[in-house]
Amino acid sequence: MVLEVDGLSKTFKSRVKGSGFKGSLKNMFSPEYRSIEAVNDISFSVEEGEITAFIGPNGAGKSTTIKLITGILYPDEGRVSVLNMDPHKDRKKLAYRIGAVFGQKSQLWYHLPPSDSFDLLGSIYNLSAPEIKKRVAYLTQVFEIGPFLNQAVRKLSLGQRIRCEIAASLIHSPEILFLDEPTIGLDVVVKQRIRELITRINQDSKVTVFLTSHDTCDIEKICRRVIVINKGQMVWDGSVKQMKYSLLNKRIINVRLEEPVALNMKGVELLKEKGCSAKLEVDLTVTSMKKVMSALVTRHNISDISISTMPMDEVISSIYEGGV
Amino acid sequence: MWKLLKKYFVFNLSAGMEYRASFLIQVFGMFLNNCAFIFFWMILYKRIGGDINGYGFSDVMFLWALAALGYGLAEVFMGNSRFISSIIYKGELDVYLLQPRAILPNLVCSRMNTAGWGDVTYGIVLYFLTQSFEPHKVLMFLVFSILMAVVFTAVRIIYHSLTFFLGNAEQFAGTITEMVIMFILYPGSIFSAPSTWILHSVIPAALVAWIPAEIFASFDLKKLLVLLSADVAIIILSVVVFQAGLKKYSSGNRMGTRI
Repeated sequence: MVLEVDGLSKTFKSRVKGSGFKGSLKNMFSPEYRSIEAVNDISFSVEEGEITAFIGPNGAGKSTTIKLITGILYPDEGRVSVLNMDPHKDRKKLAYRIGAVFGQKSQLWYHLPPSDSFDLLGSIYNLSAPEIKKRVAYLTQVFEIGPFLNQAVRKLSLGQRIRCEIAASLIHSPEILFLDEPTIGLDVVVKQRIRELITRINQDSKVTVFLTSHDTCDIEKICRRVIVINKGQMVWDGSVKQMKYSLLNKRIINVRLEEPVALNMKGVELLKEKGCSAKLEVDLTVTSMKKVMSALVTRHNISDISISTMPMDEVISSIYEGGV
Repeated sequence: MWKLLKKYFVFNLSAGMEYRASFLIQVFGMFLNNCAFIFFWMILYKRIGGDINGYGFSDVMFLWALAALGYGLAEVFMGNSRFISSIIYKGELDVYLLQPRAILPNLVCSRMNTAGWGDVTYGIVLYFLTQSFEPHKVLMFLVFSILMAVVFTAVRIIYHSLTFFLGNAEQFAGTITEMVIMFILYPGSIFSAPSTWILHSVIPAALVAWIPAEIFASFDLKKLLVLLSADVAIIILSVVVFQAGLKKYSSGNRMGTRI
């Protein structure tokens, strides 16, 4: 195991302020506080070379957990071990072996080209000049950042900047890469490119990847395992496949018939109907696919049919809403 | 660490020069700004004739040269210290905590305030225009300037670290550090107790400039040792307060870039 988290908890104290000037005045003389349990008794472990998605709605505690794991925040309770090290006691030693990208925060210097930031970051990680040169050449080739390597960061597009951010976090060849919302704000094409790059560094260099994202495609396309957190608590930990196929026993049937659909069965819900086309939702806990199919075949002439699992977005929102 | 600090210096200098015109305006602007005050003191001493509570024109000019060079060095080599509060409350300390370096030197040395070059130039020019060229005096001036830069930065760290505990101490820390600079530009002898106690502790103007000025005027080993002990105590205190605050750091999710 490269990462072990056991009973991790973190509570923040926050001031409660009433609205308007009156609230501000009251808050000044008799402030009220409330405790927010950002992370509550979380335990999991990650194996070497895994790509794990750590997902949850806004304010679920994803970033706080990453910050606790990387040693940025001190936990109130619990134990964290990263590469058999305590992130606080061994902060400097651990920093040489992990990399992190916080999509919202940049580690590149805004007014200087990425090549200068890479050079400085290489020195921060104690790399010699030839090592930095070799590493930058490799990352430039993998991330295809050559054309804008010497252009000031402020002049880069968001997609170009994120590619440089991830490359910068890999300058010291870390064993674990933490990515907090790496595809936030990117267009579809760039998102796809970033996903390919993450997969490539995982396969080529056996880098363990631990990522948070709101984009279900990120999870579906690059992760094998998913951990879902909501209101500071873990609500699901398993493979992406398992989540999609077993967690929600529902299937979607898209069917085109030669006549309008007429199917009144328990466990089958008509989601959409347009002329002779229909979209049905089958609840496998109530009926079986065999029964539904034979009913359809007996009652209708089918022109076309497709069966799919629930879209990932819906699976995840059901988990968030406590539907599973 | 020294290798990295050297790298930061070169890196920040090239970042500053990215906007050449702005760089030169800042440097010369600061130089001219400082010159204006010297005319004020010249006129004052001409009118009074003699000295102010034992401080002659040359002594006041030493204070100005020391303050300019010390402050300039702090801004050039440890220019990020003035932003510690905002770095804390914006949650931008994350980047430094993820790097394999001692946090405080990495944090304070990672930025340069280019205007500081104006103060550095001004301090050196003023010293050679108004003070002795004797090598031991020049050496003393340089050592005291470096000490001032380090102690002044330590004071900044102490007050800005209060942000960890209070939520935002940026303005308070800014006021205190401005007061340190303001007081050291006047002869220390014009202040009397209890203000002297404050100026030896909470606003340590005496430690950063007045006592060095006394030692420069007439060398006293005992005084020097007391000064060095007090300086070390302030530096240790800054590390202790910052480290204690770090445990309270709550980060944040505000968008940010490194400038």
